[in-house]
Amino acid sequence: MKRVKRVVTLLTAIVLTLAVAMCTGAAGADVQVRIAGFGGVDLAIVEELIAKFVQPKLKGVKAVYEPIADGYDRWLVNSLSAGTGPDLFYVDIFWSRGLFSSGAVEPLDSYIAKSKMLKTTDITTSLLNAFTYNGKVYGIPKDFNTLALFYNRDMFDVAKVPYPDESDDWNTLTDKLRKVQAGLPGVYGIALAPEYARMGPFAYAAGFSVFDAKGKSNVIGSQFREGFEFYTGLAKKGVGIMPADIGQGWGGGAFAAEKVAACLEGAWIIGFLRDQSPNLNYGATLLPKNPRTGQRGNLIFTVSWSMNAQSKHKQEAFQVLELLTSPEAQQWVLERGLALPSRQALIDNPYFKSADKEAAANYIVFRGASDGNVFPFEFAAYGDDWMTPINQVLSAVMSGEQTVDVALKEAQKRLDELMK
Amino acid sequence: MRAHGVSRAWEKAAPYILLAPFIFHITAFFGYAFARTFYFSFTEYNLFASPRWVGLQNYVDLVRNVQFGRALRNSLQFAVIVTLAQTCLALILAVVMNSRVRGIRFFRAAYYMPSVTSSVVITLIFMWLFQRGGVINYLTTKFIEYRAPIGVFIACLVVIQVLLVLRDRAGGWPASWFEPAFLLMSAVFSFVLVLALQAARIIGPNPNVEIVRTVWLNTRQTVPGWAGSLAVPRPLAAIMMLNTWTTAPTMMLLFLAGLQDIPRELYEAAAVDGAAPAAAFRHITLPGLRNVTYLVLSMGLISTLQMFDQVAIVGEQAPRESVITLAYFIYSNAFPGSAVPRIGAASAAAIVLAVFTMVLVSLQKRITRS
Repeated sequence: MKRVKRVVTLLTAIVLTLAVAMCTGAAGADVQVRIAGFGGVDLAIVEELIAKFVQPKLKGVKAVYEPIADGYDRWLVNSLSAGTGPDLFYVDIFWSRGLFSSGAVEPLDSYIAKSKMLKTTDITTSLLNAFTYNGKVYGIPKDFNTLALFYNRDMFDVAKVPYPDESDDWNTLTDKLRKVQAGLPGVYGIALAPEYARMGPFAYAAGFSVFDAKGKSNVIGSQFREGFEFYTGLAKKGVGIMPADIGQGWGGGAFAAEKVAACLEGAWIIGFLRDQSPNLNYGATLLPKNPRTGQRGNLIFTVSWSMNAQSKHKQEAFQVLELLTSPEAQQWVLERGLALPSRQALIDNPYFKSADKEAAANYIVFRGASDGNVFPFEFAAYGDDWMTPINQVLSAVMSGEQTVDVALKEAQKRLDELMK
Repeated sequence: MRAHGVSRAWEKAAPYILLAPFIFHITAFFGYAFARTFYFSFTEYNLFASPRWVGLQNYVDLVRNVQFGRALRNSLQFAVIVTLAQTCLALILAVVMNSRVRGIRFFRAAYYMPSVTSSVVITLIFMWLFQRGGVINYLTTKFIEYRAPIGVFIACLVVIQVLLVLRDRAGGWPASWFEPAFLLMSAVFSFVLVLALQAARIIGPNPNVEIVRTVWLNTRQTVPGWAGSLAVPRPLAAIMMLNTWTTAPTMMLLFLAGLQDIPRELYEAAAVDGAAPAAAFRHITLPGLRNVTYLVLSMGLISTLQMFDQVAIVGEQAPRESVITLAYFIYSNAFPGSAVPRIGAASAAAIVLAVFTMVLVSLQKRITRS
C-alpha cells in the first residue's frame, strides 16, 4: 500500500512542478514585436533590414522575425484565430480579401494619419489600392512583381534569331520562338506552366476582366478565349512545353536548366538564376502585345505588411512597420536587386539605368506594372478557388485531352457553381 | 481502524489516478475534439467569428457538392482496391518469407524497407518515375522495342522445359513442371538461341518503335477504358500502386507473425495424409490466419479511407478532381484557397468519413466471420 501511495505522491509532485513551471514565464524588459513572413530568401533580407534600419532606431522595443518555411497562409490563419498570431505579418494580395473580411487584421488609417514617416501619397497608388478593403487600408505594400519575358541570349545568337523586344506581338514572338527551336535541337521555345498566373496577362491583353459589372466571371466570351487559345496554342504547336513534362517544377527551373529559350516569370527568377546558373546570359523584355488590340496585359503580385487586430503592442508594431517601409530601407532593398520598391519616388533611382543584366531585368518588371491592362493578382474573396477550374482546364487542353470548347464550358460551369 | 479505511480508499482510487493521464489524453484529444467537430458540423464557422447554427445545411450542401461526390467515389475505389491488393500481396509475401531458405532474414528486411521509409520521400521518387520522360515510360518503351527477342526467349524456354519434363516422365521419373535444374538448362539454351538469331539478323529490336509518352499524373483519363463508370482516374491508379507497395510490408509482418503461430505438426500431419501444398494452404493456413486477416483488413480499410499525404503531394501535378479523397476534401475545406476556413463544411465531411469508416469496417467484420 505504501508503494501505491508513494507513486501517487510522486505523480502529484511532478504535475505540480510542471504547472508552476508553465505559469512563471520569463518576463523580459523590452517589448517584443513579433514579425512573421516567408522563409527562404526573405529570412536573410528581413533580418538584415531589421539589423540595419529598424533595431538601431528603436528604444525599449525588440523586433524579432519568425520565418515560416511552408504553408504560410495556413499557419497565419491558425495562429491569428488561436490568438497567438504575430504583431506584424506578410499578407499576400492573392488571399488578402478573405483575411481582411475576417476582422483579424487591424485597419491602419488612424496610424497613418498620425505618422510623420509614412504617407499614403508616397506609396504607388495601384499597390495601396490593392490592400484597401471597404475603404480602409489594411496593409502597406512592401514590394511588388509583374511578369516579363525572360530569354536566353546565347540561344537566340546561336540560332541567329533576333532577340524578342518590346515591339513584338503574339505572332512575331511565336515566329521567333519557332525559329530558335528549329535551330537548336532538344530545346523548346518557351516554358508554359498550365496556370492562370502565367496565362492571365494574355486574356487581359485581349480585354478580359475577371469580374463583370454584376461580379460574375465570363470565360466563354471571346476575350478570355482569345488569350486562352493563344497560350494553349503555343503548346499545341510544340513551341511551348509544360515544365512538368521536362521534369521541372516551374518555368524558371526549365530556363535555368537551358531546356527552354524563354519563360514568363517575375523578378523572383533573378535571384534564383544568380544562384543556379550565374553564367546564363539572359535578357528580359515586356510581354508581347495582342495583335488585335495592340495592348499588353500583366498581373501585379504584391505582399503587404499588415497588423494583428489583437496585438498587445500596436503602437510599437506600427513603429516597426514604418521603419521597414522607410525610404532608406526600400532603397537598400532595390539597390541590391532583392525586390521592387512600393515607394513612388524610387522610380528615378539610378540603379534602374545601370547596364547590369539584373538591373535591366528589374526595370522591365518595374515597367510591366504600368503598360497596358494590368490587374492585381486577386480574385475577391474566392482566392485560389477562382483559379482552380481555369488551371485544370489549361493543363487538360495543353496535354491534348480536351478541346478549347469543352474546356472553357467546363470551367464556366465550375465558376458559376462557385459564384452561386 | 482509521488507517485501514484510508488505505482502502487509496486502493480504490489508485487505478484511476494511475490511469488519469491516459483518460485525460483520450477525453481531451479524442472525446472533446470529436464532440466539437460534431457541433461545428451544424454551424457556419470560419475560426474568427463565433459559430452560427445552420442545422443540417452543411450536410445538404455536401450532397450537392460535385467535388464531394468525386471524393467519395475516389475514396471508396481506393479503399476497396488497395485493401484487397495489399492484403493479397502481403499474404503471398508472408508465405514466401516464412519458408526456410538461406538468407531469408535479408529479404525480410529488404521487403520491409518501403514501410519504414518516409512516405513523402517515396511519393516524390514515384513522381519522378511517373514523369512523361520517366523510368516507367522508358521501360515500357524498351519492352515494346525488344518485344520480338523477349517473345522468342519465353516461347523457347517453355517449349524446352516441356520437352525435358515429358522426356523424364516418359522414363518414369516424377519430374515437376518447374524442375529448377531443367529451368536453368532451358533458360541458358534459349538465351544462346536468341543471341544466335540476333547475330544472324533474323530477329532484333524494332527500330521504329514509338516512344511511350503516357501521361500518368497530369491527366483526367480513367483506366481501364472498358470499365465505364467503375474506371479509376489514372493518377489515382498510380497512387494506388504506390500505396499498395508501401503498406503491404507492414501487413506482411502481421501475417508472418500469424503464420508462425500455426503449429508445424498440422502441416506434417497433412503431408503424411498426402495433402498437396495448395490443399494445406487452403485448409490449414487460411483458417489459421482468420483473426490476423480481420485485423489486416480493418487496418487496411481505415488507413486507406484516411489516405491523405500521398494524394496531397501527387495532387500538385495532377488535376484535383482525379485524385481528391475524402480526407483531402476535408483538408481543402479547412484550408481553402480563399484563406478563410470553412470549418462547418469540413466538420460535416469529417463526420461523414467517420460514419462511413465504421460502416465499412463492421460490414467487413461480418464478411470475414462468415
